[in-house]
Amino acid sequence: MTTVQLTPEAAGLPGFDETLLARIGGAAEPALLQEKRAAAFAQYRELPMPQVRDEEWRRTDPALFPFDRFAPSPRLAPVPRALAASPWDEEFDVVVCVSDDGFSIHDRTGLLNSGSLVVLSLADAATRHPALVERYLQGAARVKAPRKFSALGDAFWTFGLFIHVAPRVVVPNGVLIRYQHRAAGKAVLPHLVAAVSDEAQLTIAEYYESPADAELLAVSTRELYAGRNATLRAASLQEWGARTYHIGEDWVRAERDARVEWVTLLLGGQVSKMMVSCDVHEPNAQAYLSGLFFANDNQHVDQRTLQLHSAPHTYSNLLYKGAVKDQGHSVYQGIIDAAPGAIKVDAYQMNNNLILNEGARADSLPGLEIDADDLKCSHGATMGNLDESQMFYLRSRGLPEAEARRLLVMAFFEEVIERVPHEFMRERVREDVRRKCGEGA
Amino acid sequence: MSEQLPFFEIRNLHAKVEDKPILKGVNLVINPGETHALMGPNGSGKSTLSNVIMGHPSYEVTGGEILFQGRNIIEMEPDERARAGIFLAFQYPVAIPGISVAKFLKSAADARFGQGAIKASEFIKEMRENLKFLEMNEAFLNRFLNDGFSGGEKKRMEILQMLTLKPSLAVMDETDSGLDIDALRIVSKGVNRMVGPNFGLLVITHYERILTHIKPDHMHVLIDGQIAMSGGPELVKEVEKNGYDWIRARFGKEVLV
Ligand SMILES: Nc1ncnc2c1ncn2[C@@H]1O[C@H](COP(=O)(O)OP(=O)(O)O)[C@@H](O)[C@H]1O
Ligand SMILES: [Mg+2]
Repeated sequence: MTTVQLTPEAAGLPGFDETLLARIGGAAEPALLQEKRAAAFAQYRELPMPQVRDEEWRRTDPALFPFDRFAPSPRLAPVPRALAASPWDEEFDVVVCVSDDGFSIHDRTGLLNSGSLVVLSLADAATRHPALVERYLQGAARVKAPRKFSALGDAFWTFGLFIHVAPRVVVPNGVLIRYQHRAAGKAVLPHLVAAVSDEAQLTIAEYYESPADAELLAVSTRELYAGRNATLRAASLQEWGARTYHIGEDWVRAERDARVEWVTLLLGGQVSKMMVSCDVHEPNAQAYLSGLFFANDNQHVDQRTLQLHSAPHTYSNLLYKGAVKDQGHSVYQGIIDAAPGAIKVDAYQMNNNLILNEGARADSLPGLEIDADDLKCSHGATMGNLDESQMFYLRSRGLPEAEARRLLVMAFFEEVIERVPHEFMRERVREDVRRKCGEGA
Repeated sequence: MSEQLPFFEIRNLHAKVEDKPILKGVNLVINPGETHALMGPNGSGKSTLSNVIMGHPSYEVTGGEILFQGRNIIEMEPDERARAGIFLAFQYPVAIPGISVAKFLKSAADARFGQGAIKASEFIKEMRENLKFLEMNEAFLNRFLNDGFSGGEKKRMEILQMLTLKPSLAVMDETDSGLDIDALRIVSKGVNRMVGPNFGLLVITHYERILTHIKPDHMHVLIDGQIAMSGGPELVKEVEKNGYDWIRARFGKEVLV
């Protein structure tokens, strides 16, 4: 470990230091994980702490995150059942439950015994499948250098999950991961690594919740990988309580002929700063990225996306829709990045925003960074209020103003909600949106 | 209903849009069981009248009254008017992507008749029956409201809503425009299902054609924001044959001289 004198900017979060690293990783973990954590910690130390004067953090002041109020949670250990069963579980082959008490992995359909699907904690995976972990942890899905908070997550993850689908295996019902944290004052750092091998198929659903009154910090990192001609569908529903802070750093990579569909749904939390990066890495890789965010009360949501086309003949289609209400504030920034020589790229990026009252604010910054010609690239953003003629139409059929408003907000989001793979989650999101629109006749 | 309380009466109605006066003293009485036709040149204010009856916020009523079942409805919100039993079939129904026809109809019916007043199973049965009656495919229920609908499909959707909401007073704003013979027959069939002793209807049109399917008891001509002439169904033929100029000329003399 280097012993450079840290400037305040290069400093990290209080408590995330060598002592913690030794405690959270330490001798109890397989050497592979210790090495990976140490490498990430070195990167974390090198990277400057984001400042409000950084372009990326201009609209989301890092000071919005009260880092000094959180103590790192311990690394989670397996328990027989971390969370009570949920009706949602029945729709999946494997259910992973994560709480402050620990984690549990439930093999509902016996698929884990077949060897075609691996769902293990990172610690167990590192012992049983070291080569796979070596390849995918801090690995294949990440195309660009780590950033401050992805390095933080890599070094200090408190729960690591490893999913691997063997070549040509179609996992029929997929994996559900449910996170429920309630211990106030804790920082939780979940890390997910999921690799779908060539010609395999997998659906992952994630759900995050915390009580409204518990102040929590979550730093989540995901590395998703779709091999050649593989299909990966993922949806994450973030329904944190109103005092949870969340930073997310995600990557997904699609190889030749692979298809990735990823929907992120941001509904809860106090301040969320999320980065979704996607690399369509080889010819004919396709990515469909969709997102919904809705900031009401004094919620703040900052959603960034990167569509990286590192090969010619690649396709990406992004649709993120946001609404702001009350004093809510949202920031969307998207980048399409086509590598030099990436011809015949087809990239689409759209961000639609609905501003529901004065005092709410939405910023949208779509963008392109293109080093190639002979490609089809389009991006756009819209900002608007509810459509008056649609309002009148609904009201002329007897719907009271507030109900008409709710229906139109739900209608606005429906295009994204439709892309969520599971009906239970679609219904849940519709309910959330309806609730956030407010009561009133 | 007592003689003193008119079912539907417009008294000396004045309205403007963006500071431009459009309606300049409209008077009209519709009794239960009556069908009235309203014709008039483009821009005479027919759609404005429909919108004002429904309470569109862009139109400002500057004078007069609209009485419905004995109550002046000018101050009522559009949704209150709808729940009270007034329906407007729009000339240009808007599309609402993201709301399915089924969800929309259920929400509207819940608003009009009260949440839970109709059992879901009953409601679906009725929907199917109405769709069949209007010769519409059941797949419509899952489509987004008016989204990508043809002109004729939109107009049938308006009538489907009318059948669902069972208003006691309906205004049809050029529902017939642009419909082919078949669609016109179907739309008329739907409307005639509503016609009865407790239903008042105002059919706004440019063409005699629809009035051979939906028989009016009275006919009015709107010119420059006023009812320039009223008469029986025979007036329809005269307008169809001779246009509006003779009415304008005669009305101009009566009013201006
Ligand atoms: N929302 C509106 N904004 C501005 N002008 C309007 C609006 N609605 C109607 N008008 C104007 O009012 C007049 C009457 O229009 P309209 O009521 O649509 O007539 P009609 O339906 O008889 O053709 C026209 O001059 C039209 O331009
Ligand atoms: Mg008109």
